[in-house]
Amino acid sequence: MLTSREIVATLEMLQSEHLDLRTVTLGINLMDCVSDDLEKLCRNIRHKIKTLARNLVPACNQISDKYGIPVVNKRISVSPIAIVAAPFNSRQMTTVAQTLNDVAAEVNVDFIGGFSALVEKGLANGDRSLIEAIPDALAQTERVCASVNVASTRAGINMDAVLMMGEVVKAAAEKTAEKDGLAAAKLCVFANIPQDVPFMAGAYLGIGEPDAVINVGVSGPGVVRKAIDRALEQHPGWDLGQISELIKRTAYKVTRVGELIGREVADSIGIEFGAVDLSLAPTPNVGDSVGEIFQSLGLRSIGVPGSTAALAMLNDAIKKGGAFASSHVGGLSGAFIPVSEDLNIAEAARNGYLTIEKLEAMTSVCSVGLDMVAIPGDTTTETIAAMIADEMAIGVINAKTTATRLIPVPGKKAGENAFFGGLLGHSVIMPVNNAQGDNPFVLHGGRIPAPIHSMKN
Amino acid sequence: MKKVIISVLGNDRPGIIAAVSRLLYENDSNIENVSQTSLQSEFAGIFIATVPAAMALPTLEGKMTDILSPMGLQVHVKPMEPRHEAVNGLLGESFVITTRGPDQKGLVARVTEIIANHEVNITNCQAVFKGGDDPNSNIMIYEVDIPPRADQQALFLDLREKGAELNLQVSIQHRDIFMTLNRI
Repeated sequence: MLTSREIVATLEMLQSEHLDLRTVTLGINLMDCVSDDLEKLCRNIRHKIKTLARNLVPACNQISDKYGIPVVNKRISVSPIAIVAAPFNSRQMTTVAQTLNDVAAEVNVDFIGGFSALVEKGLANGDRSLIEAIPDALAQTERVCASVNVASTRAGINMDAVLMMGEVVKAAAEKTAEKDGLAAAKLCVFANIPQDVPFMAGAYLGIGEPDAVINVGVSGPGVVRKAIDRALEQHPGWDLGQISELIKRTAYKVTRVGELIGREVADSIGIEFGAVDLSLAPTPNVGDSVGEIFQSLGLRSIGVPGSTAALAMLNDAIKKGGAFASSHVGGLSGAFIPVSEDLNIAEAARNGYLTIEKLEAMTSVCSVGLDMVAIPGDTTTETIAAMIADEMAIGVINAKTTATRLIPVPGKKAGENAFFGGLLGHSVIMPVNNAQGDNPFVLHGGRIPAPIHSMKN
Repeated sequence: MKKVIISVLGNDRPGIIAAVSRLLYENDSNIENVSQTSLQSEFAGIFIATVPAAMALPTLEGKMTDILSPMGLQVHVKPMEPRHEAVNGLLGESFVITTRGPDQKGLVARVTEIIANHEVNITNCQAVFKGGDDPNSNIMIYEVDIPPRADQQALFLDLREKGAELNLQVSIQHRDIFMTLNRI
């Protein structure tokens, strides 16, 4: 028998604390679609995705209804297209992106990830074609997301690829100038990319993964924030150890929802269940914000001194609670701090509490990186590459995932506003140190060697 | 031996379970199952017990009344029957229906009428009425088993329509979500 307290607490999480499942992502291996005939490759890709993903959205909707838990996004991730379409040039790669976009629309998913390359140690022909194709591919499609892994703790940082990505990010933004550089919001540059991320824009299906797999990403910043508020109202004297314990317990609950729904969706469409990504993912809505948690913890705003320590505590507590709730944890698993996607964080950037430098420091203790950061459109490719390199270094040295999703907003300057729409949100354009200056450091190219602690064998 | 059901109802006070169990023990009977609750100041308990085959139930009830009546309690003893078909055949998926909104006359009657019309059995029912305007302080909770033959969607639709008519927020969710969120 359930207690009335259990029932009321659950209803509150759903009704007023935005508890939902952020994404159910179906990973599809496309290696068996390979062909040296472009038309045949695209046909194979379309057929395989349509066959496996046909029931994804109806199944998610039905199960969402059964439990009263919204499944906000239904998405698909595929094998890295740089490998699947390795024989093709960049123009042909764009055709593959168009095919992915079309089939995503047919099966009614909002994003499809995997227009990706793994180049941490060097570029193969397919990688080069794909990277060159990214600006057109993202500008000409709505639903395709791209990611490029340019660094890893085992391989070091491929600075040639980093420099290329500086150019690609800028070119992608410029090709969508009328939408404030939206294409760049669908592009992540990674260090240590996980093979099973369900969240966009970084989702792709790793080559060690099954033929098809369901990975889910949970949400719940509003639930954590309300739990902290309620606890501190009742126990104003709680210390950080006690608050951390509370966050852990709350993360446990949030993750259990992901595990339950993910497994049931997987069962109902006959596909293996992979992992739960424990991330606290915000949306641009009041009450669904990671930034608000900082205020509940007693900070004036995310970005003020104390923010890195608070985020470290938050991230760790989420991992501990989530790991106990799920049989398989994967993806990024931590707190997200995407500037434009979180109303409160965007506001902190506008008010000057949050700078890019502080954001960068904070990414050393959480699960992502410089995420959804709008920067001046005239920032040079060298400086963008240098920002990417700094973020990659944090990931490589700390043996963790980091990424950048930088949007150089064409024709706009620091302090102006950028609007990306929907869950991508809007944000003030943040000033960049040495935005127009040269940067011979990144022009050296080559590979920054792997750190000494990569030698674990 | 034979199975009997003993129900005890009356003012809550210390010693009720002790009195019932001692009397059954002294009469060579064994308690198999007990459920008790207290609602405000009232006690209600149901005991399933095995008693000697030769024992007449009116005799047992008389003995119990002698002890419990002075304590302000009413007793009823009846033979245990095999599980009723109407309930037996109804086992299905467990859902939790909640209606939120201020208390009003006929609220429970009008909601449960719909549940009954769909041949859905209520396995537990709780009321949380604290007054005031906060819907979360005024909740009726019905745990139900929806049998496979019932039309779930039609039931949910009827409940939501009734909710709108009575100005209630209605939620219908599978029981597992509450278990998952609250229990290890």
